[in-house]
Amino acid sequence: MSFTKLVKANATALTVAFVLLGTASPARAADAEAGKQKAAVCAACHGEGGNSTNPAVPSIAQQPAQFVSTALFMFREGNRKDPQMSPMAANLSNEDMNDLAAFFSAQKAAPPGHKSNPENAKTGPELAQKFNCTQCHGRGLLGQQHIPRLAGQQFEYLRTQLRGFKAMTRADIDGNMTSAARALSEKDIEVLSDFIAGASAQ
Amino acid sequence: MKNVIAFTVTTAFAVSALAQDKPAAQPAPSWQQGKPAAQAESTLHPFAPHMTGRAAKELPVNKLKVPAGFKVEVWADGIPEARSLALGDKGTVFVSNRNAKNVYAVVNANGKREVKTILKGLDAPNGIVFSKGTLYVAERGRITRYDGIESKLEQPGEGKVVVDNLDPNRQAGHFWKFLAMGPDGKLYFNIGAPGNIVMPSYMEASIMRVDPDKGVLETVAMGVRNSVGMDWNPKTKELWFTNHGRDWLGNDLPNDTLHRVAAKSAVPNFGYPFCHQGDVQDPDFGKNRSCAEFAKPALKLGAHIAPLGMRFYTGKMFPAEYQNNIFIAMHGSWNRETKQGYNVMRVKLDEKGNPKMQPFVEGFLTDEKADPPMWGRPVDLLVMKDGSMLFSDDYNGIIYRVSYGK
Repeated sequence: MSFTKLVKANATALTVAFVLLGTASPARAADAEAGKQKAAVCAACHGEGGNSTNPAVPSIAQQPAQFVSTALFMFREGNRKDPQMSPMAANLSNEDMNDLAAFFSAQKAAPPGHKSNPENAKTGPELAQKFNCTQCHGRGLLGQQHIPRLAGQQFEYLRTQLRGFKAMTRADIDGNMTSAARALSEKDIEVLSDFIAGASAQ
Repeated sequence: MKNVIAFTVTTAFAVSALAQDKPAAQPAPSWQQGKPAAQAESTLHPFAPHMTGRAAKELPVNKLKVPAGFKVEVWADGIPEARSLALGDKGTVFVSNRNAKNVYAVVNANGKREVKTILKGLDAPNGIVFSKGTLYVAERGRITRYDGIESKLEQPGEGKVVVDNLDPNRQAGHFWKFLAMGPDGKLYFNIGAPGNIVMPSYMEASIMRVDPDKGVLETVAMGVRNSVGMDWNPKTKELWFTNHGRDWLGNDLPNDTLHRVAAKSAVPNFGYPFCHQGDVQDPDFGKNRSCAEFAKPALKLGAHIAPLGMRFYTGKMFPAEYQNNIFIAMHGSWNRETKQGYNVMRVKLDEKGNPKMQPFVEGFLTDEKADPPMWGRPVDLLVMKDGSMLFSDDYNGIIYRVSYGK
């Protein structure tokens, strides 16, 4: 049946049209259980349940689901590039990304292994406010919606990302981080990364 | 001489050190541009779409409300960041996006609705319109045409450039475009203001048109901060469009607006950045200016409510009183404490052409104080050949259908 004919049929026989509407292949709901299976390969770098023990690799446990799916989307689409992650994301479907997001957002973040320098732990919160970190990442830097949890994140990873944003070699979806990082000095980056890496992830 | 240099260096150093102590001196994200010191602590922020889409079955779509006799249902999901809609002669529904780089086609294959990605690698292809067999696409900096698109959805080839260099400064603000085909055969589109509240360059904050065969640009309206929806009154052939007012001027000001460009008028200037909603002077740019010199909006729609797509209804399915009514998709507010919008509104023009607005599709707003306050956001509208109306939701990547009848 051609679409035009179908449309005409819809106008005269709505009930039939609704049955046909039901036969469209709808998107599948995000599935954390399916995500667990798909996440097996992630553990090699990101750690068990997404809790990384490698200072250069981010923890993705208990990240907001929308952040996880958005990050994977950006790797696949090439907005964000990484020698390890770009090929990992290249063949993931949107459904895969939603499943992985559902799984990792449901994992509990481990207490941070990093111990902040006491001086940085003291000045860090002020800096985080001054440079608008808390504006989007929230007061406790726990993230929300498409914005990642930073608290308790790996030190080296945080520092590399902030340097990347400042150098404009790392992109985010709306340019907010590029803009925010422009104001940071190397010292600020050092202090912020050290403070944030030791902050409670809960 | 050496001393002078040493002094200069020291002074410059001291100044930059001083500047670093003042948070106000830091560059703010583009959506924070124009945020006054008094609102420095505000945590209001825009909402990002779920870029991988969300399935309709995990969302409260049964909470959507329409007037008696109407029905609203999911037409298609799995179209991430579904934005503008366009209808082909053969029934193809084209769907654009803003943060991704694709254009999709929804086609009917053996009674099943199928979503195809037909164009890839585009630069913010928000604007699409179909006319006489051709799909036109407005990207960030150019408009291209894909002739005979419906017969080659699998391989549409490279687009032919209609006009280029529309964003020479790669502006940080409203770089996405809405595209519409006028009754005069010309393509109409917005060039948004390059920030929340900034002095636009000569082409920015305008509505332009271009003859697709000649590629010559003309200005249609000026002082338009950002329009993401336009259509022509089927009776008078006059252009109507929606416009977004500035942010960070408080919860209730200024209103977003609906505008009419009177036929055969000189190019109207609607006031940005000097005057908002026809009667509110900008606290900075409006000094030493008066709103009296600017054209007025046809209707105030609500502060920060974010009107996007708007269409006159000319279908045959809805009751007669809906004929030639304007439907507006409200994307919903972020820049106010109590959220509003996130619905489809109906605007009826009385005999004198004065507009009156009432809700048409509601139910996306769940908690006006929550963050996020909604589960979906209407973007664009499309009247189908059978008279039903589709509307897109970029937050989830879903298209809904509103119909009337038994």
